[in-house]
Amino acid sequence: MRADGLLAMLDRWGRYALPGATLLFFVLLTLAPLRAPYLSGALPLLPALVVFQFSLATPERLPGPLLLVMGILLDLLLGGPGAPVGVSALGFVLIRAAVVNNRRYLVGVPFLFQWFGFCLLVLGFVVLVWFFTALWTWTAIDPLPALMQYAVVIVIYPLLAPLLARVRARDPLNVPDASRGTARPGETTS
Amino acid sequence: MAIRDDFEVAASQVRTAVQRFALGLLVIAAFGAMLVGKADTVLVEHARVLALDLASPVLEAIARPVAAANRVIADLKEFASLREENARLREENVRLLAWQTAARRLENENERMRGLANFREGPEASFITARIVGDSVSAYVRGALLNVGRKAGVASGQAVVTGEGLAGRIAEVGENSARVLFVTDVNSRLPVLIERTRERAILAGDNSPQLRLTLLQSVAGVQRGDRIVTSGHGGSFPVGIPVGEVVETGEGSVRVRPFADFSRLEFVRVVDYGVSGLVGGGSSPAAPSAPPAGVRIR
Repeated sequence: MRADGLLAMLDRWGRYALPGATLLFFVLLTLAPLRAPYLSGALPLLPALVVFQFSLATPERLPGPLLLVMGILLDLLLGGPGAPVGVSALGFVLIRAAVVNNRRYLVGVPFLFQWFGFCLLVLGFVVLVWFFTALWTWTAIDPLPALMQYAVVIVIYPLLAPLLARVRARDPLNVPDASRGTARPGETTS
Repeated sequence: MAIRDDFEVAASQVRTAVQRFALGLLVIAAFGAMLVGKADTVLVEHARVLALDLASPVLEAIARPVAAANRVIADLKEFASLREENARLREENVRLLAWQTAARRLENENERMRGLANFREGPEASFITARIVGDSVSAYVRGALLNVGRKAGVASGQAVVTGEGLAGRIAEVGENSARVLFVTDVNSRLPVLIERTRERAILAGDNSPQLRLTLLQSVAGVQRGDRIVTSGHGGSFPVGIPVGEVVETGEGSVRVRPFADFSRLEFVRVVDYGVSGLVGGGSSPAAPSAPPAGVRIR
């Protein structure tokens, strides 16, 4: 343990707080009255994108309980009478678990693979939310808007993911074991 | 060395087990939250309101620049079609002037008739102007967040209107925030009148941009272009707020296009009608004789 200067300490704290803060920002952004067609419809899926991307890079800085809280907050804010509170939390936790358990296929692979993984996982997320919302309100909800949302967020992913990926440590060996996966020295992920 | 390795292996196994267990716990917690939400709706309501109140200052800070940007984009778009827009407006202005004359004449006549018939007017309405600080629009909800709440006199069930017509009703109220449920939301059911025939019906949303007219006596009496207004049944809404017009009449289903343009809402007015009907909770049985001090119009 070497003695850290103030700047180094701030840096470390910043690093630890960043994924959570980014997630919180995107949860709040969900409600921002952006009037861009298509884009505003896809906003509710952006937190899931953030969860996926940070689970790839630094899952230890996005612990499960935090995801639980954020998911419940998202459900509370997004609202809708009768909609299940906690379904996003469930989805976030499952996305994180799926990413952490499949690091081998997602970390240190070409970007297209990551994109594909994202497509699969978010499809699961969308279906989960749709299923529980339909079950909880006991109505046959038209799945088309949800699929539209899904399509838009899939297109957004390549635009947003590299931006979020800049946050991670450059070298996969430079991060704790839990998030290194099977990556070799010198391998980069994007 | 070997002992230490063993220890480390064991420790890592324990850690893995805890992590596995943690996932299970988290999943159970999420399910627990969903079940609690289903069982205790009041608690969830309180939690929603609390979350809204906490988030609304942040949202307001985000909303202003976003609104400004939206306005610039809209301005640019309009700039392109300035000429046609002008011509259209001039034409509309001529038409509206004619209507204004008609309205003046009718209002005078109405007043005299009311005087003759000793007609008692309904309670006066007061308006609370609110800024939309957040959209709660997703695949499942159509709504918005307002920056006014209980402190400003907003109550659950009140009508929310724009310049063009009805936008929705207040669904949840916090101290300084409120959630509007748009008429297009799948949970929205609105008692309405067809203005031309005075026939009653229910206007239902289904999360699409258009509304569905249900519980009509006969579909045959409805024509394209018929205006739909609120009927005031159920108590919490004033009578005669324009909602939309019929755009499609098929067999068994009538589609209505709402007048309010939900894609460009920035400011709305909450109508405090001074009546607490069924939707308002009915906490004050004695109808307030005077509306609360606010901007009183009409």
